Amino acid sequence: MAKVALHRKAARVDMQQRILYFVTRTNWVLFCLVSLLGLWLAPPKFAFGIICGGLLVTVNFHLLAKTLKNALTPPHLSSHNVVIAKYYLRFMISGVILLLLIKYHVVNPLGLFIGLSVVVASIMLATARELKILFCKEAV
Amino acid sequence: MEAQALQFFIACVTAAGFGIAIAAFGCGIGQGIGLRSAVEGIARNPESSGKVTVTLLIGLAMIESLCIYALVVALILIYAHPQAGAIAGLFAHGG
Repeated sequence: MAKVALHRKAARVDMQQRILYFVTRTNWVLFCLVSLLGLWLAPPKFAFGIICGGLLVTVNFHLLAKTLKNALTPPHLSSHNVVIAKYYLRFMISGVILLLLIKYHVVNPLGLFIGLSVVVASIMLATARELKILFCKEAV
Repeated sequence: MEAQALQFFIACVTAAGFGIAIAAFGCGIGQGIGLRSAVEGIARNPESSGKVTVTLLIGLAMIESLCIYALVVALILIYAHPQAGAIAGLFAHGG
């Protein structure tokens, strides 16, 4: 009984790490794929929007991961003031970049929107993959 | 015509303001609830911090992207909606 519980716990930990690894890797893959497609098929402003949005949101995700890891993983926890300051700084920089990109019409807003969806798409893909693994396991 | 354009611009700015306010309100509440639960979980069981952090990271990224979408829509409403150029031209012509 205890062995089964331990096995289930290990599988859960494994699943968490697998999702994180898949999401971080798929972020860059999707970003490159969508950027290349944009450069190939879309006008330059649209492609630049995809590249800017994708880069912004992917870098944001990695910085968020680093901040959370420093804040919540013992034994070396960083101060909560530092965490909050980093969080707001990151968010403000993202906001200013988006403002400049849209205000001066550097990019096409629709392209930017597609670029900003890279992380959400990779999380959705990770969820679909986990569901598929789960249902395949249950079927066996 | 200029009065109508001005009214349209005011409506856009109001919509952008309310939109980002509502989005920030919802996302703030969502992130707060998620973070509270994560911290409570880690406080009860410090060994689970790795698992909780991964789940929290993915949840926060999803919530934050919603707020960024709202920000982009608000900025588009103010600076880049399809009639923005025409309205700016009208005002420049009028001035």
